[in-house]
Amino acid sequence: MRQPDGKSLPNAAAFIVLAVGFGIALNSRLLGLLGVPIPWFASSGGGGGGAPADVALPGGYRGWTLISVAAVGSPTNDIRAKLGNEVAIEDFQQNRLPYRDGAIIVRLAWHQVQDQQTADALAMQARSLGLDENGIAKLLSGTAVAGEPLNIQVMVKDANKYASTGGWRWEQFTNGRPDPIMQTTCFACHAPAKATDLVFTHYAH
Amino acid sequence: MARFERTNMVWPGALTVVVVTIAAATFTLFGYRLALLGTPALASEQGGVASTDGVGLPQGYRDWPLISVAAVGSPVNDVRAKLGNDIAIADFRRGTIPYRDGAIIARLAWHQSHDQQTGDAIGVQARALGLNEEAIAKLLSGTSVAGAPINVQIMVKDSKKFASTGGWGFAQFTNGKPDSIVQTSCFSCHAPAKAVDFVFTRYAP
Repeated sequence: MRQPDGKSLPNAAAFIVLAVGFGIALNSRLLGLLGVPIPWFASSGGGGGGAPADVALPGGYRGWTLISVAAVGSPTNDIRAKLGNEVAIEDFQQNRLPYRDGAIIVRLAWHQVQDQQTADALAMQARSLGLDENGIAKLLSGTAVAGEPLNIQVMVKDANKYASTGGWRWEQFTNGRPDPIMQTTCFACHAPAKATDLVFTHYAH
Repeated sequence: MARFERTNMVWPGALTVVVVTIAAATFTLFGYRLALLGTPALASEQGGVASTDGVGLPQGYRDWPLISVAAVGSPVNDVRAKLGNDIAIADFRRGTIPYRDGAIIARLAWHQSHDQQTGDAIGVQARALGLNEEAIAKLLSGTSVAGAPINVQIMVKDSKKFASTGGWGFAQFTNGKPDSIVQTSCFSCHAPAKAVDFVFTRYAP
């Protein structure tokens, strides 16, 4: 379709498809960002052990206090942060074990990416300090910032409700939607951390 | 008793040697690291001013919401988190540029450390997923958690007070005590990020 001024008007159907697509993308992104509880309708057909119906990202989790940060190597190549709600943070800061009912730990992971501006600034500094090009290449190869989000994992403490998995329930969200996960698998992997109530992370001072 | 006293006499001398040796080694290592991290290690030799140029370690910064995370490679080998006060976080989330007066960004850095329990758990998982030992070794060599703190750097926005350095005041604290830094050095390193008001970090969704 052509307008008198020569500009093409977007095809109505294409526009609607784009708008809907954008809406969905923005919605899931925003919901995840804002910590809005998302009902479990994404039945990914994962079979038994999938997320139960009441699984939701805790409200406001993105504004929670930082517990610690970490990175996981290749082929995962992520960089991650653990945040905690008030109950969890207090328990972490006071070394209280086991964690109290109501404690929630949120693990956010992002793809490691190289930021050109950061790398340039680092390289400039390193060069001025006398690092040779090999040294600078090594420095930069181990340098990364958080890129696109990978997924979010949540641990919720309720000693009675989740007694069969050490008092914790595990959840995972990708793009704000719960993924089907096996509680027993999460639990088995966390079992070695039994002495610290199944939590691997220590508070970073 | 006499023997105990004699031992007591000997110890101060031996202790002094040990302390001086450790101090010298720490200075050599640490000074180098500091330099790479955005701060001339020997600022005082360059006519530097104390990092307290009106920039203190803000109250309660450790509980501020997370902006993003990053890691810096060898020989720095740190893992870091940027936290922001209410003004900074609001500006980051809305993409407000320039940052408003009162915005404060705190960059916390920790030594990358290998946590045995985490490494073991990841190793078990990776093995179950079919990764061979070489691949697991590679995965674990790139895996780290936050260890002992290195230092905390602060950027405070006050477009009038710090007009000569792009509106930002910079400071660095080690063990809670201000390090002597040169504002102009911080500023010149941040200059390439002028388009984003001298802030390299982007908000991690």
